Amino acid sequence: MRLPRFEYVRPQALEEALSVLAQSGSRAKILAGGTDLLVNMKQRTVCPEVVVSIKTLPELLMVSSDAQGFTAIGSSANLTDLAANAGIAEKFPAFIQAVRAIASKHIRNMACIGGNVCLDTRCWYYNQSKLWRDSRERCLRTGGSVCHAIKGAARCHAINSSDTAPVLVALDAKISIMKKGEKRLIPARQFYCDDGIRNTILEPSAIVTAIHLPDGNGAGRSSFIKLSMRRGIDFALCSIAARASFNGAGVTDVKLVLGSIASMPIVLEKAAQIITESGLTESAIEKAGEVARTELGSITNLFTSAGYKRQLAGVLVKRALYELREKTAKRGRAKA
Amino acid sequence: MAKKTGHYTVVGTRQPRLDGALKASGRAEFTDDVVLPGMLQGKIVRSPIASGKILHIDTSKAEKLPGVRAVITYKDTSGLMSGSDKFLLCENMVHFFGDEVAAVAAVDEDTALEAAELITVDYDPLPPLLSMEEAMAAGAPALHDFMTDNIADEISMSFGEPDQAFAESDYIREDEFTVQPTHSAFSEHHIVLADFSLPDRLTIWTPIQSSAIIKSSMARNLSLTDSSVRIVNLHTGGAFCGRGADKPHHYIAALLSRKAGRPVKIMCTADEEFLVYRGGGKYKFKLRTGVKKDGTLMVMDADLLHDCGAYMETQFILLRFVGSNMQALYKMNASRYSGKLIYTNNPPYFFHHGAGLVAMRFAIDSQLNLIAGELGIDPVEFRLKNAVEKGYITPAKFTYASCGLKECITKAARKAGWKKKHGKLPPYRGIGIGCGMLRSGGKGMYDHDNSSVFIKLEEDGKAALFTGLPDMGQGSHTTMAIIAAETLGIRIEDIKVVAGDTDVTPYDVGAISQRGTFTTGNATINAALDAKRQLAKTAAEKFGVKPAAIIFQDRKVYPKGSPEKAVSFEDIVYATLHSDEGRYVMGRGFYNPPSGQSDMSKYEANTALAYSFGAQIAEVEVDPETGMVKLLRMTVAHDVGRAINVLGVEGQLDGQVFSGMGQTLFEECVMEGGQVLNPSLLDYKLPRPFEVPEIERIIVETSDPYGPFGAKEVGQGPIQCTSQAIANAVSNAIGVPIKELPITPERVLKAIRERS
Amino acid sequence: MKQILSLTVNNDTYEVAVSPWRTLLDVLRDDLGLMGTKRGCGNGTCGVCTVIIDGRAILSCLTLALECAGKSITTIEGISSPESLHPIQKSFIENGAVQCGFCTPGIVMTSKALLDEKPQPNDDEIKEALAGTFCRCTGHIKIMEAVKKASQPK
Repeated sequence: MRLPRFEYVRPQALEEALSVLAQSGSRAKILAGGTDLLVNMKQRTVCPEVVVSIKTLPELLMVSSDAQGFTAIGSSANLTDLAANAGIAEKFPAFIQAVRAIASKHIRNMACIGGNVCLDTRCWYYNQSKLWRDSRERCLRTGGSVCHAIKGAARCHAINSSDTAPVLVALDAKISIMKKGEKRLIPARQFYCDDGIRNTILEPSAIVTAIHLPDGNGAGRSSFIKLSMRRGIDFALCSIAARASFNGAGVTDVKLVLGSIASMPIVLEKAAQIITESGLTESAIEKAGEVARTELGSITNLFTSAGYKRQLAGVLVKRALYELREKTAKRGRAKA
Repeated sequence: MAKKTGHYTVVGTRQPRLDGALKASGRAEFTDDVVLPGMLQGKIVRSPIASGKILHIDTSKAEKLPGVRAVITYKDTSGLMSGSDKFLLCENMVHFFGDEVAAVAAVDEDTALEAAELITVDYDPLPPLLSMEEAMAAGAPALHDFMTDNIADEISMSFGEPDQAFAESDYIREDEFTVQPTHSAFSEHHIVLADFSLPDRLTIWTPIQSSAIIKSSMARNLSLTDSSVRIVNLHTGGAFCGRGADKPHHYIAALLSRKAGRPVKIMCTADEEFLVYRGGGKYKFKLRTGVKKDGTLMVMDADLLHDCGAYMETQFILLRFVGSNMQALYKMNASRYSGKLIYTNNPPYFFHHGAGLVAMRFAIDSQLNLIAGELGIDPVEFRLKNAVEKGYITPAKFTYASCGLKECITKAARKAGWKKKHGKLPPYRGIGIGCGMLRSGGKGMYDHDNSSVFIKLEEDGKAALFTGLPDMGQGSHTTMAIIAAETLGIRIEDIKVVAGDTDVTPYDVGAISQRGTFTTGNATINAALDAKRQLAKTAAEKFGVKPAAIIFQDRKVYPKGSPEKAVSFEDIVYATLHSDEGRYVMGRGFYNPPSGQSDMSKYEANTALAYSFGAQIAEVEVDPETGMVKLLRMTVAHDVGRAINVLGVEGQLDGQVFSGMGQTLFEECVMEGGQVLNPSLLDYKLPRPFEVPEIERIIVETSDPYGPFGAKEVGQGPIQCTSQAIANAVSNAIGVPIKELPITPERVLKAIRERS
Repeated sequence: MKQILSLTVNNDTYEVAVSPWRTLLDVLRDDLGLMGTKRGCGNGTCGVCTVIIDGRAILSCLTLALECAGKSITTIEGISSPESLHPIQKSFIENGAVQCGFCTPGIVMTSKALLDEKPQPNDDEIKEALAGTFCRCTGHIKIMEAVKKASQPK
């Protein structure tokens, strides 16, 4: 399949990139790994006039620890490099598990973490060639007024299929965003929006420059599980990032975040509350799984039925919690 | 271990394929690798609706675009029909999303794309018929104006006395099975390069299973003589029953080429693949089976509804195959069948990997498992009890000169540890058996069934084998070389295979209907024997014995009983060429299986002399919370008559287990509004390395009297066993019958819930 | 607007004028005549277009040609010599891992990148490397056997 025509710009520094983006506005798209953008361009869902290449910007390639107790990873960090980074894997095992689960090794060899953090949402009716989409009325996302996934929907319900997004939310990560003359640091939870079209707060002329993972989780455990039809290639049918901290009194700071099931990662408050109150007991875990199903609200039939997704959500919550319990027990045994 | 009858030098070895180095180094030429001077790129304009009237086609803007060299619509086709019911380019109506309406040829692909977008077509959409039920409902409009209903084809067959057999049955069971639409999904997309730039001379480069069929079809449809069409079939990137005939893009490229006066290449893009593929349509199979209480199978009565999509093309073959093959695997007194092809506004279907029979095998063997369960008979014992065997004559008069079905069942069961496992596995682990068979060297797919081979011998004693049989990856060319080497008493490295050009190679109906090893193999033996006769004449003169007393063995030639007198094969070739008459050795051979019936309208009697048989045992683990099925192990036993190339046979077993597994657990074209919702390899799921099971291969050799060195087919027989083995294993694991493919996690969960 | 691009492929340097929207796959095949790398799905799911760039298996259909300046690109044409095929190629042929051959170059390159990085990968590492490729003929079974055998110390 052919790419459309475009102008290609390769700034040598971040400052320059931000200027180009500011000038071009929505005429431009940034190109990091290209494994998502170029496919969308071939399908003509995205046809930028200008493509701004940021993969090799030195400012976006740095990995460092900052004074606030965060590890900063530049958004152009290559996924295969990240997956092999033992230091980060030790500190943030769930995050690296998620990175290792992204797409295929070929894709990870080419792609950047920023691309996965900002991954475009997906929908059966959107991620199709122009030929396919021309057979239907334009949908909300392509300039029309209908949603093919949910008849009568007032907003787009395309799904956030990023593997790292739920982990960032679960770990209370922060995201650095820059546009010309402006720099912000946003909690991951606020970065994502419940909208299939504008699924992040990122404006056309802004870019994610780094993600910041909080250090000092010595007392905490985290877990990431991805359920997909096939291993090593597919997007998730549903995924979960879970974390909890442990002190003498019990389990605190429980986070359960579902991914690939809605337009943004879903934080399960009620299910987490059950664990905070009752600890990682078997009955609490089973109950949390049940509650998670109802806490979800309505979900789409995209890629698989809503009922099945609900089932998977409940299963994933339980499995993630059992994993946390297992990790706590191991640590406990190791200490003893 | 394969059992060998007789001693062979080359046959029965593990022979790496002759074109291995070409392919592994990227030098093997495929159609997209061909670049001709002045070549243009073509793009097809397709209907964006599943059903409707064409009101107006405007090509004026496209024709003016710089770089465009030809634009065609129906006006340029003289009403050409690329199928019995399909106009190549639609004039008044479109019948499926993707139906061909116009085409352009331009200097490069980007220009062709741009030009295609400039062609505007106004449609008046009509409500499409999207399911067989809709299409068959009372009052449903006829999709095609030459029809009064939507039954594209129907057929009934009856063998033996079904009603009597039911009356004599102790137990009768009826079930309905559904198989969702599937896609061929081969690696190399549909592609054609056509050069029609000289009058009355058409050259086509394309991957294809039968050069003969596409050649004669295109000649006939384009009003050319057969010999003015040349098909160049370079390497073919997979076929799996999906490249058996000419398709619209072949004609479109030819017409564009004629109009532009230059060669035109059309390659289908990833999404077009899901429009042009003609894969497997939705299949509804109602099966009623009668048995005696001791498990003796009496009768099967089946009704098939198959969604053939918008155009029937050659699917009448499937309709007949299913009916006649139903009664061919297990002994029974009678069988009855009625099949219907139903027009809908879905993309035209044909059959998926497995000759259209996989779905029927899934249904039959799944039901037999249920019957065995009800009667308290072990599934393996049930099959052994009813398995056909050598010498048996079926109700439709198939006869089996060799049959290793029971041996396959027994060996597979032993290797898989059936007795230790069946009924004794932990919850959600299951084991299941599936059996299948397929004709070898089948006839009736074409006007005749000829395979011909030439062998020429060079002065250095090396041979060139000329065949019209394509090699789509199954290794047919290497097989022919092995057969020739064995017959001539030389080695495989002495042979090169020349194929893929109908101007050069002798006639061959093609790699369809399991004709390769059996039919072309026998033609190869005949050609080698002919060459040998010519050499034997020289050797006989030299040694002063009768030609029949000459032995050809391991590149040596000697009179029987006197190996010490041996001279080299090369010497005899040389001497023959340097004879007074200058007798250049040219071996020619042909073969048309003398099995009698070659008429598709007659269902009885053997359309093949030989059949392959197999049994497979699947072991699965089901996750009861997610419904996901892990295929742990496949034990695969197949009676191939003789393994000409053991490495090749293993590769076929593997690939068909993979395809069978795909069809059973993963593959489904999710349809909505006449569109495939998942038209990509990301969303149309085929297994990948992590999903592939462990595999145990058992090659059974029954030495067929008609096959070359006793060999029978292995190209589509194994896949006939896989689906039901896996389905039966899943059923065993969850305690619920499986009646629908693919067995998706959701369907498993639903079944588990309904059980409780 | 075309740019002049200097590409290093199989240790040869080429100068080509390319538009930004041309992929590395386009340039390899259409401009440099290196037909060994095949065109498949075009959307990153089949792996037939795999080449090795700076030691990694990369999908050339999703790589802009312009972004390849200064990189070391290896295609299937570059891993064997007139005297000898690469051990991985030999292993594929000997072990029956080649059937129709269309996916073979991409999978050979994927395997080479793996073995160059991990000379003795375990089964899961082999599967992970190959999961981005698609072989319908062999079902990946003999391919995995061939990679395993090629990785064993001689």
